Amino acid sequence: MSVIRREATRLAAALAVCLAASAAAAADQITFVSQGGSYQEAQTKAILDPAAKALGITIKQDSSADAYPVVKTQVATGKIVWDVIDVAAGYCLRGAAEGLLEKLDLALIPNAKDLDPAFRSDHAVGYITYSTVLAWRTDKYGKNGPQTWADFWDVKKFPGRRSLRNYARPTLEIALMADGVPADKLYPLDVARAYRKLAEIKPHITTWWTSGGQSAQLIRDGEVDMIMAWNGRVGAVMKDGAKVDYHYNQAVLENTSLCVLKGTPNRVASMKFLNEAIAPRNQAALPLLIDYGPVNLKAYDTGIIPAARAAQLPTHPDNFRRQAVLSAAWWASPEGAKAEEGWLAFMQR
Amino acid sequence: MLLLLAPALAVVGLLLVLPLGWLAWQSIYQDGFTPEHYLRILQEDIYWNTFRLTFSISASVTVLAALLGFPVAYAAARLPPRWATVVLALVVIPFWTSVLVRAYAWLVLLQRRGVINQVLMDLGIVDEPLALVHNATGTIIGTVHVLLPFMVLPLYAVMRKIPGDLLNAAASLGARPGYVFARVFLPLSAPGLLAGAMLVFVLCLGFYITPELLGGGRTIMVSMLVQRNVELYHRWGAASAVGLTLLFVVFAIFWIVDRVLPLERVYGAR
Amino acid sequence: MPASGRWGKVAFALLVGAILLFLIAPVVIVVPMSFSDTRFMSFPPERWSLRWYRAYLESAAWMDATRVSLSVAFLTTLVATPVGVAAAYAINASTLRAVRAFQLVLLAPLMVPIIIVAAGIFFVYAKIGLITTIAGLVLAHVMLALPYVLVATLAGLRSFDMTQEMVARSLGMNRMRSFLAVTLPQIRPSVVTGALFAFIASLDETVVALFISGGDNQTLTKRMFTALRDEIDPTIAAISSLLIATSFLLVLLTGSAGRRAR
Repeated sequence: MSVIRREATRLAAALAVCLAASAAAAADQITFVSQGGSYQEAQTKAILDPAAKALGITIKQDSSADAYPVVKTQVATGKIVWDVIDVAAGYCLRGAAEGLLEKLDLALIPNAKDLDPAFRSDHAVGYITYSTVLAWRTDKYGKNGPQTWADFWDVKKFPGRRSLRNYARPTLEIALMADGVPADKLYPLDVARAYRKLAEIKPHITTWWTSGGQSAQLIRDGEVDMIMAWNGRVGAVMKDGAKVDYHYNQAVLENTSLCVLKGTPNRVASMKFLNEAIAPRNQAALPLLIDYGPVNLKAYDTGIIPAARAAQLPTHPDNFRRQAVLSAAWWASPEGAKAEEGWLAFMQR
Repeated sequence: MLLLLAPALAVVGLLLVLPLGWLAWQSIYQDGFTPEHYLRILQEDIYWNTFRLTFSISASVTVLAALLGFPVAYAAARLPPRWATVVLALVVIPFWTSVLVRAYAWLVLLQRRGVINQVLMDLGIVDEPLALVHNATGTIIGTVHVLLPFMVLPLYAVMRKIPGDLLNAAASLGARPGYVFARVFLPLSAPGLLAGAMLVFVLCLGFYITPELLGGGRTIMVSMLVQRNVELYHRWGAASAVGLTLLFVVFAIFWIVDRVLPLERVYGAR
Repeated sequence: MPASGRWGKVAFALLVGAILLFLIAPVVIVVPMSFSDTRFMSFPPERWSLRWYRAYLESAAWMDATRVSLSVAFLTTLVATPVGVAAAYAINASTLRAVRAFQLVLLAPLMVPIIIVAAGIFFVYAKIGLITTIAGLVLAHVMLALPYVLVATLAGLRSFDMTQEMVARSLGMNRMRSFLAVTLPQIRPSVVTGALFAFIASLDETVVALFISGGDNQTLTKRMFTALRDEIDPTIAAISSLLIATSFLLVLLTGSAGRRAR
């Protein structure tokens, strides 16, 4: 009697486990976090929906402008709500150093090998790219605007109102290039030299912008005549018909990265999602909707991106080679952290 | 009786005292006890300069609020009730309007192509738009606007109780109006001025939203240092030490003012 | 002010008028701007339209934020009011010296700079996992709103004659019942005022929300702050106008509650 009961109980338990497992498999889902706005909407169409379909999973979305403290909390308390986050590359490096992220399972992410080594690490793959470019008003300087950061610093040759970003990264890189450091010899940054060079231009900077929207507004309304700004923002302003132009000379290329929270119950699905997110055809679909470049250069071979569009993108080979590539690893290092904090002191001087 | 107090005390204990204690702990303990975070405030220019700037801005704001608040409070106290109500309403409505809304409005008014610059240029007063915002000027204008009611209301509360007869009596004895004002009215309204000045000064020391939105990232106040250290640099020890130093300053001010003027009265609980 | 003579009086009136204009103009100017037709911030607007109100009402993100803010404010009021009234009653009835200390402790949320409160709460919440939760927001706002309820209720109790409650108790009612039946109805306007203050305080609270709200549970203020740091789009003007209208309405309500109190 008791044996039968024991067996029955065991059977029921096994059944329950099976059911739970199949339920979990059926409802395989991940929560993906990006930075919201039109950027996230474009991703939904170009990448998230196709990826969900291809993998047969549900992708829930969330957005956060400052994901880092939340990630820290979720991992520390073991209550993982988010699975994959799209953040500035440096955050993934810092998160990896603090043990907040899963190591990548490259067997599940075959596409990772197609990425330039600058765009991947043990804990993160690159996602999208953008550049910090020099943009200027064509009604002030015509087509022959400032060509280099040295020109930006040359207030005699190019008189006018100027704006830089109120942040160390990548303003220090730009200052060093203005001082004659070649784009491929920037790291490790000579921080003292960069701040010295910035001090030269400081009296001529009318506005130090703090957000992308603000930078766009400044150059669109002609509040300033030249500005360092993200290519996507400048592109949008030009599309609106503002008299603005830019180029990729000495621009600074950056990428956001995808990384997976440590201890997520959806590790495998998350890794598979990473693979889809950097698949050439999905990567090629995004720049059709928004001004960001693919990290996977194979996207340019898919034929999905028209040639005229490709020429505007930061990772197009012609543009890529004229730029400096930002080293998120350097910025995540102690020297980088110190340089970043030096910014406040510089602003107050 | 104490049982009735218990929930309130628990709320404040758990959500105010405990977090402050946590800050204190975090400011001295990081893998062992260390004074490093406090030493940094003394040694690094950025911290020192930020505290200095915060004090000078708070002082300017307090003086401006006093200069602007005094006439308004005086008018409200001396006008017939109906007009006094109008004046007070005009003080209280902004007081109950979100600080964010007001920051937005000031951005609109003060920016390079904003309303004020347009008017000034149309009238030919200036040729170039003035830089009124994204700097210390913007911070001070916005902060004075937010804190002015904290000056007007305590002043008004005191002035209302100064009997008009007293002033008339002084005048009837031949005192000139300026003399009556300086020797009778001003001393009698001093407690209100003190309460208002303390409120404005202390609130300004810890002010965050308005300087952040109107200061253009150039006018860095102590509060912004705390925020940056928490969210940008993830240096919680440093943030805690800065916060606690500010708290110490604020409490010192309270302690001194409390000698002269009980705090419950300032905060309207008596 | 030594406002002697007619010209002195006129000058003084102009001065006060100018200061009042300084106070009220920024609040007023937002409203017409919210009916503007263009993205550019021009005043007065060239053409009128409701597009920014539509932009607000049709945005899921803004609507979610509004819902979060309203529910947090409502829950805050619901908790803060009884807790604050109980404390005020105890303080008013007690003659202990220690009560002054307690009272100062309960007023402390008004005195400690909000940025320090926010950082401290953020650290504690980060440890226990209350960040980005509604419960965490409500708890923090209850603490911040408590002084408003306390001060308003104390004002009511001070003008209330406690012997009435004594009489009720001598007639056999217990303390709770006599409070509910006799005292509360008479101090109700003060309690309502306190509750409304608590509601507005929670609705407008920004700094703590910036630190601890996020994800699905972002408050309206946090979203507005982020938007203001980014491109300033007139949707903010529409939201601001609605907020002004709300505050205005609530202040009117408190005003009439206060008048009935007198």
